[in-house]
Amino acid sequence: MSKVIRTVKNVTKGYSSTQVKVRNATSNDLWGPTGTEMSDIARMTFETTHEFFEIMDMLDKRLNDKGKNWRHVLKALKVLDYCLHEGSEHVVVWAKDNIYIIKTLREFQFIDEDGRDQGLNVRISAKELTSLIMDEDRLRNERKDRKAS
Amino acid sequence: GSTRNVDMSRSESDLVINIKKATNMEETAPKRKHVRSCIVYTWDHKSSQSFWAGMKVQPIMADEVQTFKALISIHKVLQEGHPVTIREAHAHTGWLESLTRGVAGEGLRGYGPLIREYIYFLLAKLAFHRHHPEFNGVFDYEEYISLKSINDPNEGYETITDLMTLQDQIDAFQKLVFSHFRHGVNNECRISCLVPLVQESYGIYKFITSMLRAMHQSTGDDDALAPLRDRYDGQHHRLVRFYYECSNLRYLTSLITVPKLPQDPPNLLSEEDAPPAL
Repeated sequence: MSKVIRTVKNVTKGYSSTQVKVRNATSNDLWGPTGTEMSDIARMTFETTHEFFEIMDMLDKRLNDKGKNWRHVLKALKVLDYCLHEGSEHVVVWAKDNIYIIKTLREFQFIDEDGRDQGLNVRISAKELTSLIMDEDRLRNERKDRKAS
Repeated sequence: GSTRNVDMSRSESDLVINIKKATNMEETAPKRKHVRSCIVYTWDHKSSQSFWAGMKVQPIMADEVQTFKALISIHKVLQEGHPVTIREAHAHTGWLESLTRGVAGEGLRGYGPLIREYIYFLLAKLAFHRHHPEFNGVFDYEEYISLKSINDPNEGYETITDLMTLQDQIDAFQKLVFSHFRHGVNNECRISCLVPLVQESYGIYKFITSMLRAMHQSTGDDDALAPLRDRYDGQHHRLVRFYYECSNLRYLTSLITVPKLPQDPPNLLSEEDAPPAL
């Protein structure tokens, strides 16, 4: 059902195909983002500036979503991590400029109706991503390794 | 951030709502999402003026829980906000101080002493930052600070002494918080003020450790530094105890990693065992 609504929203809100790609990869579905989705998005960060900003703006929106949509946040962190490794250099610059967005997610909280702490995975991912972005050498090496393989 | 697409016109009114919700009357922790929005605001706008203005129009003095939640929120924004936040905070110390008049004695729900001690601590923190503007809000370890003290051992000595004084104030405050836990309630609101205190005390601890090591190496004067070593050891033991007590609070450990220090203080005369990452 949520998939149908998302498709309708994509049309009525006039999202571009790039934005739709990011929205689908960071949806509330139980699965994903798939490897194909992430590599498609990473590849698109090399295209025009317009497309690059469409991707980052949508990820930004997802990263700042409310607790109930913790899957949006978690998946956006995952896509950003992927793009930091395989995307264009602009992604690295963006992440450094806006690191406070990720840093402040290290205390993300959400307890669902069953009392489960759904914020935990966001906190862990945000912590790992923060230390990656702050470690210039590690990030450089990991980007190089991915290119080689 | 220059590359972030922020709707500046909307964010101002959102900020007021976030401050209002972070400091509402519910006896819980200030909701992280609202505090986070305040923090993010200071980075997006490279200014905290609207944050302070927004705080001042809230009726936080009318209720002790609201006052306490406002203090926690302010502490978090000082720690994690844009560096300009601390510089701009100096203009608001008079207002901070005036909050002590809001609650007399213990207060109905026992927050009176906690509020007064929190304000005392925040004012001490701001005074420290005024003297030492090179530190950020959580005392993130930066190599250049310890290098700085190598060039000027006297300045390093004074900086460490000031840091230790602040550490003692955190210790006094946390003890007061623990002694004000109430039976039969979850104490979440009280516990939530320990989150920034754990983070800050650990930042200070790491700083002092690195600076003292650097000074021992650069001066080679172990005797002159003996008083600082003694004080360091005492603070180490108190921190071990503080973190141990925190590690028994589930609400706290679910939110942050409480540092685990070795039982004995590290040897400051050697370069080994760097403090573990938080």
